[in-house]
Amino acid sequence: MRRFGERAALDGLDLRVGEGEFVLVTGPNGAGKTTLLRVLATVLRPSAGDVRVGGHELPRAAHRARPLVGYVAHGPLTYPGLTARENLELYAALYGVPDGLVGRALDRVGLDARGGDLVAEFSRGMAQRLALARACLHAPALLLLDEPTAGLDADGRDLLREVLAEPGRTVIVSTHEPGWFAGLATTEVPIRDGRVAA
Amino acid sequence: MSRRALVALVRKDLVLELRGSEVVLAMVAFVVASFVLFRFGLGGGRPAGGTRAATGMLWVAIVFTAMLALTRSFAREREHGIWDGLLAAPIDRALLWLARACSTCIFLVAVQVVALPAFWLFFLQDGPAPDYGVLVAAVLLADVGIAALGSLVAGLASAGRAREVLLPVLFLPFAIPLVLGAVSATTGTISPQTSGLHTLERLGYLGLYDTVFVLFGWGLFEFVVED
Repeated sequence: MRRFGERAALDGLDLRVGEGEFVLVTGPNGAGKTTLLRVLATVLRPSAGDVRVGGHELPRAAHRARPLVGYVAHGPLTYPGLTARENLELYAALYGVPDGLVGRALDRVGLDARGGDLVAEFSRGMAQRLALARACLHAPALLLLDEPTAGLDADGRDLLREVLAEPGRTVIVSTHEPGWFAGLATTEVPIRDGRVAA
Repeated sequence: MSRRALVALVRKDLVLELRGSEVVLAMVAFVVASFVLFRFGLGGGRPAGGTRAATGMLWVAIVFTAMLALTRSFAREREHGIWDGLLAAPIDRALLWLARACSTCIFLVAVQVVALPAFWLFFLQDGPAPDYGVLVAAVLLADVGIAALGSLVAGLASAGRAREVLLPVLFLPFAIPLVLGAVSATTGTISPQTSGLHTLERLGYLGLYDTVFVLFGWGLFEFVVED
């Protein structure tokens, strides 16, 4: 359970995702999809209940779970006043990843030529690509994506599909476009009012 | 504690400040304008309370100036939604506080490079020179206290909707002992200078204040940033 004041954003949600699964979380606005991802990303503490990521109980063992998780949120979680490369170097330092991997990550999302540009100058789609590079920089075992297709052009969507198709990773995606993930997702979990809809 | 992460976080703050000039220039303008207002408010002369009143004005101006930086502290992360990215990183969250305290301290020192000579020019230019060594030690110790307390309170205030209101309400009461210590230590550096023991006592008081709020900052920030 997760409460914001009197309102329960997640209430009795029961969900188990196995290793290597690709789960789509769907539901109307306000259903609790973003809150669920933020709890799993260890950004929000659950108010009650049992939450485990990679076998680590949250929030008690959040420090063990965090290295396992890559999180793509609504926003890119990057500083507009820094260049793309500087942003990734910052996150590389926070995740203990060698700086040498930053160039490879930029290359992977097609931003190698724009690595020296300020993120403030990026389009929404480019910022979203950078967010994907940031989330995958430390090769997480669990990738959490909140509306990842929003703002992406056709090339960006192809790139996203390529990244999500990479094996050996558990993926949980919150989306209003479940059809787009056909062929990738193994399970769809509709949620409503903070719990799995019947 | 990851030294690399700490250095990266501080460097990020400095790079953003060098590119955007959001904070330090505003702080310099504010503190110098405060001195000008004090000067005219006093009719262009030395304050009636002598050196102690003058150093009191100095530290009140510096504390209010620091609030400019503290109000913006963590605002960028909140406004651009970067906060979740930092909280999700596998680092001790106290490191976020420590990095912000270090950058705030650096900003304060940069401001004081201009503010202290301006202060002497406005209020104490006809007096004797201070003991520079003790003055620098007192100023640095006071800066550490302001940065440690301020970054903790700024983290707490940034979560609220009325952070500009919340910050001074939370920060100023806890800053009173620091201002008292800083005024006393700074006054002691100006003739008639106090004995070495008194000087050590005053610096020790500031050091104790710093220790308390560094421990509070390190220990409490994790809980302060929880939504």
